[in-house]
Amino acid sequence: MAQDKEMKRTLEPGPHLSPLGAPPGRDPREDAQRPVRVLSRIVWRIVDVIVGGIFIFAGLTKIFDLDRLIADVRHIRLGNFLLDLQHLQFASPMGFANDIDNYKILPWTIGVGLASYLPWLEIFCGLALILRRLYLGGLSILTALISVFIVAAIAAKVRGLDITCGCFGHVSQNWNFPAHVALDLAILGALVGLFVSSRSKKAL
Amino acid sequence: MKSLLVRQVLILAALGLVPGIGQAIYFRDKVSWRSPVPASEMVTVTQARAWGENAIWVDARPDNEFARDHVPGALPLNEDRWSELLPQFLAVWSPEKRVVVYCSSVSCNASREVARRLRNEAQLPNVFVLEGGWEEWLKTRK
Repeated sequence: MAQDKEMKRTLEPGPHLSPLGAPPGRDPREDAQRPVRVLSRIVWRIVDVIVGGIFIFAGLTKIFDLDRLIADVRHIRLGNFLLDLQHLQFASPMGFANDIDNYKILPWTIGVGLASYLPWLEIFCGLALILRRLYLGGLSILTALISVFIVAAIAAKVRGLDITCGCFGHVSQNWNFPAHVALDLAILGALVGLFVSSRSKKAL
Repeated sequence: MKSLLVRQVLILAALGLVPGIGQAIYFRDKVSWRSPVPASEMVTVTQARAWGENAIWVDARPDNEFARDHVPGALPLNEDRWSELLPQFLAVWSPEKRVVVYCSSVSCNASREVARRLRNEAQLPNVFVLEGGWEEWLKTRK
């Protein structure tokens, strides 16, 4: 008898559920939008990983001498890749310091300090985006960094300075100015998008 | 929200600082904090003049500036016409000679870039950058 009552109670919809299992007063349109929201989350998650990956790669190209490894990947030489990976060396911060110095904005000493520090900051912020830990902090720093890069690049162009952005170490050495700014603007757009999406997720 | 953001920014900034300092210590002998060119690769006008005939002066400035005036006996070697001018320079160069590269003003990049290419691409030893560049040489000429 008691068992029957218990079973009946289990099968009956609770006070918080409608007969169909949905909470009372819930807009059916909301259910229809659910897949869209899930898809949007997946898309932004992919953007997180791509943008984070770009910054990690950018940091690594300045910290390590990756020229050979990148050439191996380009020409699909797996054997050489593994061999070169074993002989991976730290790259001197002088290269990046020279790139910073070319902008003629900061004194050399500060440029050297930044050349040692910025690549690591890029890596940690990139990881923050991918792992979703310290997420807002990572987003803020990367947005600030990329904004400064864009302004500095445009200012250098206006002043007639011939600069190599140094964004991706030697890989980007031969990039022209429009390609450099276009990539930076695309990254900035993605970062702003991530900011907006993270805020709207919180609002939901 | 704001304090959370600030806290996260500070944590990330501090995290980057740790390996950054480590890297700076690791490269302490290879990186000059005072000048883009390590002190061992710089030479003053007085020192370079003292080398006399054993020095080859290289003018890294653009052609028009070289044509206007240059250090007596200097050879033009700028990045615009690198492949054209390098053979002319190599014809004069000999292993016992020291190479003094100069360009205009202290902040000029051309001299250190030319010096770097001479060292790395042409594999030349004893390549120096003139401290203070062309302007410094002009001062001592007077």
